[in-house]
Amino acid sequence: MAKRQRVHVNFFVPSSDGIKAETSVAKTIILLWFLLSYGIPVLIWLAGLPDPNGLGESFITNTRFLGFPLHYWLLAQGCTLGYILLCKLYCVLWDAKSNRLQKS
Amino acid sequence: MKKALSITLLISILLLLASSAAFGVAGEEIYQVKQGFKLVPAIIMVALLCIYVGVGFLSKVSSTSGYWVAGQGIGKFGNGAAIASDWMSAASFMGVAGLLYLKGWFGLGYIIGWTGGYVLLLCLIAAQIRRFGKYTIPEFLGDRYNSHAVRLIAASVTVIIAITYSTAQFKGIGLICGWIFGMDYKASVFFAAGVVLSYMLISGMSGVTRNQQIQYVVLISAFLIPLWVLLRKAGGSGILPQIEYGNIISGLMEGKTAAGQLDPEATTALRNAYLPWGKGDFYHFIALVFTLMVGTAGLPHIMIRFYTVKNEDVARRSVLWGLFFIGLLYWSSPVYAAMGRFWNPAGGKAVADVIILSAPERAGLGSAFIGYLASGALAAGLSTVAGLLVAGASAIAHDWYATVFKPDCSDRQALLVGRIFTAVLCGVVILFALNPPALIAQIVAMAFAIAGNTIFPVVVLGIWYSGSNKYGALAGMIFGLGMTLMAMFGWMAKIPMFGDQGLLPATSSALIVCPLAFLINILVSNATNEKLDEESAERGDNILRKLHNLPGYQEEDDGTNAFSR
Repeated sequence: MAKRQRVHVNFFVPSSDGIKAETSVAKTIILLWFLLSYGIPVLIWLAGLPDPNGLGESFITNTRFLGFPLHYWLLAQGCTLGYILLCKLYCVLWDAKSNRLQKS
Repeated sequence: MKKALSITLLISILLLLASSAAFGVAGEEIYQVKQGFKLVPAIIMVALLCIYVGVGFLSKVSSTSGYWVAGQGIGKFGNGAAIASDWMSAASFMGVAGLLYLKGWFGLGYIIGWTGGYVLLLCLIAAQIRRFGKYTIPEFLGDRYNSHAVRLIAASVTVIIAITYSTAQFKGIGLICGWIFGMDYKASVFFAAGVVLSYMLISGMSGVTRNQQIQYVVLISAFLIPLWVLLRKAGGSGILPQIEYGNIISGLMEGKTAAGQLDPEATTALRNAYLPWGKGDFYHFIALVFTLMVGTAGLPHIMIRFYTVKNEDVARRSVLWGLFFIGLLYWSSPVYAAMGRFWNPAGGKAVADVIILSAPERAGLGSAFIGYLASGALAAGLSTVAGLLVAGASAIAHDWYATVFKPDCSDRQALLVGRIFTAVLCGVVILFALNPPALIAQIVAMAFAIAGNTIFPVVVLGIWYSGSNKYGALAGMIFGLGMTLMAMFGWMAKIPMFGDQGLLPATSSALIVCPLAFLINILVSNATNEKLDEESAERGDNILRKLHNLPGYQEEDDGTNAFSR
């Protein structure tokens, strides 16, 4: 078999239009995912740093939302809801991209 | 073939008999709910089991491709429900509520870890795996890296994950059977094994898939319906329990329970559990969440679901629907934990894994409701074990036996090996389940650590980095697997460093190990780039063309493989 050119695939250096479209959508979603998953715990952690007991008590834990302590709701329901919306957003963004790809 | 089937059936009948002989032996106080035989729940459970086995029997399979992935024709709702049903194991049904009960706010890490991972799966893996379109993850890795060694290790990891994960399910199934029949825990583990085995062997995965949609409906209704009654008993209006329990949580933080106001000391203890770092610190929280997420994205028995859908669009949408179906459960399991605290504020580890039964029982919910709930949990455990044992057995039969050791074997031989190893795996799982090392959700978290440290890095690099080669893959996988197993045995040996307060807890080792596994894979790949033989480079490139729809893909000549179509 004649030697063919090697394929180059790198998530951060996309080489074809298809990969470019895919990684740009994926990067957006992963960034949002990261903010959601780790931003919220970091926020709760930072807000709770002044608590002398080291338990992380802060305005976030004292606020009530729908009857929940806010820090509880954010993780128990907020994040999960966010993930489902992110999956939906991924599908929407991808559909838009692939339509554009097909037209061009 | 028939002979092997009847022998395994005989074994499962023997198991059932052995466990019933141990009937009536006084149970150890594993949990504090009422002991003894319960008629109504037993009838509900037996009826449900008959439906499962019946459906499995009606959809008996004879060709291997049916046994492994149920033909590629399942839609987004169906596949979403199957993902959710595979997912909704005894761990999410009983284990998560147990951990939330025990660990308060900290336990929520399990919820975001086990839902957030799907986003990663969707972004990085789902569509590409569908484009690849073959049977198993070890097969994907073996083809991409053109290496039998990679395939063998991946297959072994699949088996280890299946064993760990199933151990947790068996603990759950055992506790449920023990609760319904008043059996000793050990006897009910054998009983559960008998049920699982006979179900598994009669139906292949085709039956399993069809069942999984029925099972999801049974599961989620069993889990949700008692909540309305429970919340009404706790003084809520019982319209939307998933929102209303917020007031109960806020009340618990002020010491308000079913027994009235707690004394100040108990109130502080309860309040601390619901404050962020009362039961674990920031590092352990992040490490746990990260581990569960990469583990979710790296679990072979979840990934295998994407081979079974029509096309990649359906693959994407089935992640969305799967996550939604899973979300329904996870919005509800904290309610059980909160209810458990409300009625039993001082309970400890002994009651945690059965809190979904104990809370309603203390609240005086009728035994029919609790029986339905228990049957749901049982179904959750059963369907997960079924999926896992198939994944484990297929790793052995397909990736070890049919591809590496005996490439010229017939379909029937491979199927036979698959069935035999299903039984063998079941035996190993029983051994571990008789003496469970941790809470259900913790054992499962260890399985996730394995997946996140070994499978996830090598799959992601395999898809997204053409420079990664077999040497890097091997180095990364061996490192990941070694570290995770070390942490697991360290946990069992009670070494502090690997315990749940240590630097590298077995349940959350991936925050440290997973990035290192990525790094090792990349470094070793680059260092050995010159050494890589022409064929491996060419074959890897060819797979990459297929994964990313690049021009120039050539259909592989798949003569080595009895399952090619």
